[in-house]
Amino acid sequence: MWAEFKHALRRLRGRIIGWSLGVGLYSLMMLFMYDAVLEIMGIEELLAAYPPEVMAFIGVTDIFAIMTPPGYLDAYFFGYMTVIIGIFIVGAGASMLVGDEERGVLDLVLAHPISRASLFASRALALVVATMLILLVCWLCWALPSSQTQLRLTWLEFLLPFFTLLAQLLLFGALALLLSFLLPSARLASMISGALLVGNYLLLGLYRLNDNLEPFIRLTPLYYYQGGQATGGLNWGWLGGVMAVTLLLTTGAWLLFQQRDIRVGGEGGWHIPRLAQAIGLGERPPHTAREETG
Amino acid sequence: MSEQMAIVTTGLTKSYGAVPALRGVDLVVNKGEIFGFLGPNGAGKTTTIRCLLDLIRPQTGAIRVLGLDPQVDPVAVRARTGYLPGELNLETNLTAEQALRYFNDLRGNRIDWRFINDLAQRLQLDLSIPIKNLSKGNKQKVGIIQALMPRPELLLLDEPTAGLDPLMQQEVYRLLKEARAAGATVFFSSHIISEVEAIADRIAIIRQGVIVEEAEPHQLISMVLRRVRIRFREPVNARPLAELPGVSLLAENELHITVQVEGELDGLIKALAVYPVSDLETERPSLEEIFLAYYEGEKVREDGQNVG
Repeated sequence: MWAEFKHALRRLRGRIIGWSLGVGLYSLMMLFMYDAVLEIMGIEELLAAYPPEVMAFIGVTDIFAIMTPPGYLDAYFFGYMTVIIGIFIVGAGASMLVGDEERGVLDLVLAHPISRASLFASRALALVVATMLILLVCWLCWALPSSQTQLRLTWLEFLLPFFTLLAQLLLFGALALLLSFLLPSARLASMISGALLVGNYLLLGLYRLNDNLEPFIRLTPLYYYQGGQATGGLNWGWLGGVMAVTLLLTTGAWLLFQQRDIRVGGEGGWHIPRLAQAIGLGERPPHTAREETG
Repeated sequence: MSEQMAIVTTGLTKSYGAVPALRGVDLVVNKGEIFGFLGPNGAGKTTTIRCLLDLIRPQTGAIRVLGLDPQVDPVAVRARTGYLPGELNLETNLTAEQALRYFNDLRGNRIDWRFINDLAQRLQLDLSIPIKNLSKGNKQKVGIIQALMPRPELLLLDEPTAGLDPLMQQEVYRLLKEARAAGATVFFSSHIISEVEAIADRIAIIRQGVIVEEAEPHQLISMVLRRVRIRFREPVNARPLAELPGVSLLAENELHITVQVEGELDGLIKALAVYPVSDLETERPSLEEIFLAYYEGEKVREDGQNVG
């Protein structure tokens, strides 16, 4: 398991470095902008002039809360980092196993003495560690130089929102992983998971403008995302709930992987032709039948 | 299951949706033999091999590999097996050495690296080259090395010489014979009759998901037809040749004849000793022709039984 974990993490290193650098530099920039934002003459009037719709979509309900550390963190980082870093985890989750299967690489790996459970656990753990490393760099970029700014929070206060962000990211990563076993391709799983994430983000913005959406938004993960507000303390119920759903999705994916026939290269899209054939919309392409039965 | 059997499958069936891939495969491979698994594309060779490693699961039937059920104890089966997939895909951003080190790690880092270097040298493979820069044949060599390097008890090789030049094919045959000499069982699929003839102790022919024949290679060859073209230095009466047992005339003119021979060529060669032969060509049968010959024979036998 350790060998596969090391290998999976090594494969992710390019993305870890790229995402860490990108989001880390952005974090530094936002940190050092805090003082500048506070010192802007007439900032309060400027903020008040913003349409509420705009503020709602960047995660701010109280317009003047943006001047406080939690509000600033929400508005300039945590409010939309679920979507930004979500791009990474949704893509990596969807291709964690099915991506390799579509490239025909998984066949040979699983012919070695490693159980499916062990392979799944190693790669899932590598994905979690990769996400944590990216968030760790972000946290350090916020926490380490913060004493040079007026954004005065302790290291722990900076850390707590990252737990809520990590939980949300893992949930959408697990969703992408599960969908990759249910849908015809990793790319489609990635697209649908990404669409659900962005849809949830937009719905949350609409909810801030319209309370009538509450019954719907309560069914979505991002409703239970504290973001910058977690600097004041974690909502353990929310965090536990999100983690429980993540565990449920991961267990579902694990069960599907256990029962799965490992496809070989070139069979990536055979579900759709079969479905089309089943409902009489198309004929099975001859090459797919040959590849499957060879 | 007997201790002497490396692979036993009974009534193996597998379908991909509405497409049946295996329709009751019964197979026995003895320990210590090189077993050729012949069949045309789409016959079910790859599906059978992938069932043996629990990469895919059959709908019905039983499998024992080295006395173990791959569905119950897949890790133990794979620990004792080396596998070369028919459609070999490796991580392209690794070098050949990095890929082999990864596979070695998956096997607990117990493989003697000198043996790997030896295999690479014999197959003339530079391990420092990235996989993405390797030709198809060189990628195949990486696949062969990773299958052989743990010195497994059982080698499952899906078309092992695909993409290799004739010299390398011969080297692979030598490696497989050495593996057998060291006690390994080799189970390989192919659709090249000469390859099977060169190294296999026994063969099975699979067609449309069913084993249609199990035999030794010489038995297979003896049941097939081959064409022989004979050119003479001067006009002759070649009619007596066509009357030899198992020989039938396909074409003739004054200076050459083409005959079809069933089984061994010994009778024809001896009869030709009295003719002024200037050239002789034999055309080896393709696998499809072997199938046709086999099925025609089957059909004749069935018809005969029906009549009788």
